[in-house]
Amino acid sequence: MFCYNCGCTLSEHDFCTACGADVYMYKKIMHVSNMYYNDGLEKAGVRDLTGAVTSLRQSLRFNKNHIEARNLLGLVYFEMGDTVTALGEWVISKNMQPDKNIADDYINKIQSNAGRLASINATIKKYNQALLYCNQGSKDYAVIQLKKVLSLNPRFVRAHQLLALLYMDRQDWEHAERELRKCMDIDRNNVLTLRYLKEVEAALTNEETTKSAVKRKKEEAVRYQSENEMIIQPLNVREPRRNGVSTLLNMGIGILIGLAATYFLLVPAARQAVRMEAQETITKIGNESDTKTARIQELENKISGMNGDIAQLNKQIQDFVGEDGTLQTFEEMLVSAAAFIETGDIHAAEEDLEAIAANVRLEEMTEGFQSLYRKIFEAIGPELSAEYYKEGHEAYRTEEYAVAIEVLGKAVAYDPANMEALYELGQAYAKNDDTEDAIRIFEQVIELFPNTQRARNAQQQINSLTPKAD
Amino acid sequence: MINFEEELKKFFPSLEVEDAEESIYNQDLTDLADMLVKTLMESATTTEEVQ
Repeated sequence: MFCYNCGCTLSEHDFCTACGADVYMYKKIMHVSNMYYNDGLEKAGVRDLTGAVTSLRQSLRFNKNHIEARNLLGLVYFEMGDTVTALGEWVISKNMQPDKNIADDYINKIQSNAGRLASINATIKKYNQALLYCNQGSKDYAVIQLKKVLSLNPRFVRAHQLLALLYMDRQDWEHAERELRKCMDIDRNNVLTLRYLKEVEAALTNEETTKSAVKRKKEEAVRYQSENEMIIQPLNVREPRRNGVSTLLNMGIGILIGLAATYFLLVPAARQAVRMEAQETITKIGNESDTKTARIQELENKISGMNGDIAQLNKQIQDFVGEDGTLQTFEEMLVSAAAFIETGDIHAAEEDLEAIAANVRLEEMTEGFQSLYRKIFEAIGPELSAEYYKEGHEAYRTEEYAVAIEVLGKAVAYDPANMEALYELGQAYAKNDDTEDAIRIFEQVIELFPNTQRARNAQQQINSLTPKAD
Repeated sequence: MINFEEELKKFFPSLEVEDAEESIYNQDLTDLADMLVKTLMESATTTEEVQ
């Protein structure tokens, strides 16, 4: 405590030891201020917030510089939902003692969260709007607005009180009581709340007395609020008296029910678990089986493909080494060539070549094979052609034209340069009345042997045959 | 029995954040200690003047 005159610390004396000023009354005022602060602190501790506000205000009336009292007053206002008033007290407190002041923390906590400050302001505006609705007679709107206010700030005591008043006005005593109980949870000694609550309880009692005695007996209960729930504890309910036998019987029934529950609940669950496990195993085996089946199928397909390849290869081998195969034909060709070289028998060679030509396609054989075939053919061709020409000429002369055509055809085949055989073949066709083939052969004569007498004769033959063709 | 209209008169609009500054400035912060000091000062001055 400091002297109001010189600012020195005061002693136990009633005067200032520094300046001699009389501080008796001043010290008394400070003591009274402290006493009210202590009273306010005690009341705040037991949630008598209204009482705390009164005491703290008194304390500040005696000593406005009582920082603790002002900070606590702000805190109490804040708890009652009156945030702006609380902020006002804290601002004044900070102004009086800028350093080491907890009010600074309180202000920062509120101002640092812009959203919260906006929410606080919105709540206050809604409360004021609800009050305006009340004054205008729009009580339903006011109730809605106050419900919104309390959803944003459930500790706003005045909003609870106003809502309770509105409920009381519409004689909704139960809701009014609920709101007042919430007020009591925040502020236990608020005179207005207590007065309203007394009124509400009286109204509720009157309501209950009007009900029938039997019904009342049934409904008699102790009601009390626990957190947000209304607990209704029925009275006059007595447990029936039981003897030992019934207790044992009930225990037996209980055990039986327990066993039955175990059988019907746990056993099926266990069975289900085993069944599920078995099902999983079956599924797993099935999957493995499917995989293996697919693998087997794949291998079978591969074997089938390979068998086809083997069959094709066997056929190729057979075609190559079989009785009528390529290798055999080669063998025949070589044997024929060797026999021709050794004996010079052109007729035997002719037979061999005809047999080979009947078995194979010469153009598909190897180049060496074809070359050997041509060499033998060229070697025997002119001699055979001359023989066939002679035979054909004889047949032509004896007018056996069909035989002549066949034999002369061979003569031309063995030696395409045999002009006489070719010309006479054309004549045989002409004599055999085959004009078309005759002309074709004569044209070959003209083409193959131009500027020869036979060519000119062939042209004459064509000319003579042409009118016949037309 | 509670009269709604009468009770309603006991409720006042709450202070909004925008009005807080004005409210703080308008608050009368004179306390009993101030009054005592003022009285004692005036008394001392009067005594000096008489002497």
